[in-house]
Amino acid sequence: MGEPVECRDSERMSLFMSQALDGLLAAADRQVLEGHLAVCPACRAEWQAMQQVSALFKSAEMVGPRLGFATRVERRLADKAKKRRRLFGGAAVLTGSLSLAAVTAAVVAVIVLGVVAGNWLNVLPEVKEGTNTVSQIASGVNLVGKGASLFLGDLLRSFGVPMVIGVGIALALLVVVWVWVAVKRPGGYHHNGIA
Amino acid sequence: MDEERAWIEGALKGDQAAFGRLVQAYERPVYNLTYRLLHDAVEAEDAAQETFLRAYDKLATYQPERKFVNWLLSIASHYCIDILRRRGRAPQLSLDGPLPPQWLASDAQRPDQTVDKKQQQEQVRQMLELLEPAYRAAVVLRYWYDLSYEEIAEAMGTTESAIKSRLHRARRMLAGHLQAA
Repeated sequence: MGEPVECRDSERMSLFMSQALDGLLAAADRQVLEGHLAVCPACRAEWQAMQQVSALFKSAEMVGPRLGFATRVERRLADKAKKRRRLFGGAAVLTGSLSLAAVTAAVVAVIVLGVVAGNWLNVLPEVKEGTNTVSQIASGVNLVGKGASLFLGDLLRSFGVPMVIGVGIALALLVVVWVWVAVKRPGGYHHNGIA
Repeated sequence: MDEERAWIEGALKGDQAAFGRLVQAYERPVYNLTYRLLHDAVEAEDAAQETFLRAYDKLATYQPERKFVNWLLSIASHYCIDILRRRGRAPQLSLDGPLPPQWLASDAQRPDQTVDKKQQQEQVRQMLELLEPAYRAAVVLRYWYDLSYEEIAEAMGTTESAIKSRLHRARRMLAGHLQAA
């Protein structure tokens, strides 16, 4: 078979061919294509080759996976959910522990240093003997409050406002993260109803 | 379709059996796409599974006005194209490149009648493998799923004119190879 001569209009004609194979070629363009194919051996050969390729693809059936595909997907989903739960659980324990430790340390520090500061500055309120329990508790609270306020004042003077506020925000964020992790902890994907 | 909608809503509420039904309903089209793109049964199985895992994670983003199967095919085609690009296996098509020996046989003229299924599958595989990933995906979505240009464009995240051009170029390249025989 001799080599067909090059066609100057082959780009446009092959675009028409492609559209014709998809059933999207307009009637007017189809006439142009048919007229051209009647006189152009190069494009006719290309058209035949395109049709062969198209016929091959159209005749190929859809292939499916091995039996049990859905079960294998369910198993992977269950494994993935388990891993995620483990990760979230670890994060929850870590941030929760850190939050609790930090909050406890802060409270203890406020009380101890507040009392010490109060003693040194001699501004402690009196807790008198013989008074009733309510007034004793009130005096105690007042004592801690004064101590804490002195301590905070001291902190503000020593470290500056931004530092103290920053530490406070960090503690609050830690607690928020812990709560978020606890709330958002993902549920499991149960394979065949079994956890 | 109503059944499908019910499965999707069930899966969104955490009903695993409902998601299982979706997997069973669409495992074949999803696997066929991954297989036609990757040409390896093990990789295709893994990619098809990964498609469903991603679909499960992103189910809340699915828009009901779109066909669910097309949404799955979109996830699968993006995933497979990424794999193919990472591999760097494609593109291999050059108009001067050698033609696979099977194509030289005269029975390639009437593949549906003269070659057995296994040989036919091999021819399809070799032809598709000549195309670069984005072209291959467009061809598969067009021929095996009969998607419109618009649907292919949506699945592949591109424009209709890009799909028109890809299909045209892919057909031209493959026809050129066939003619070179």
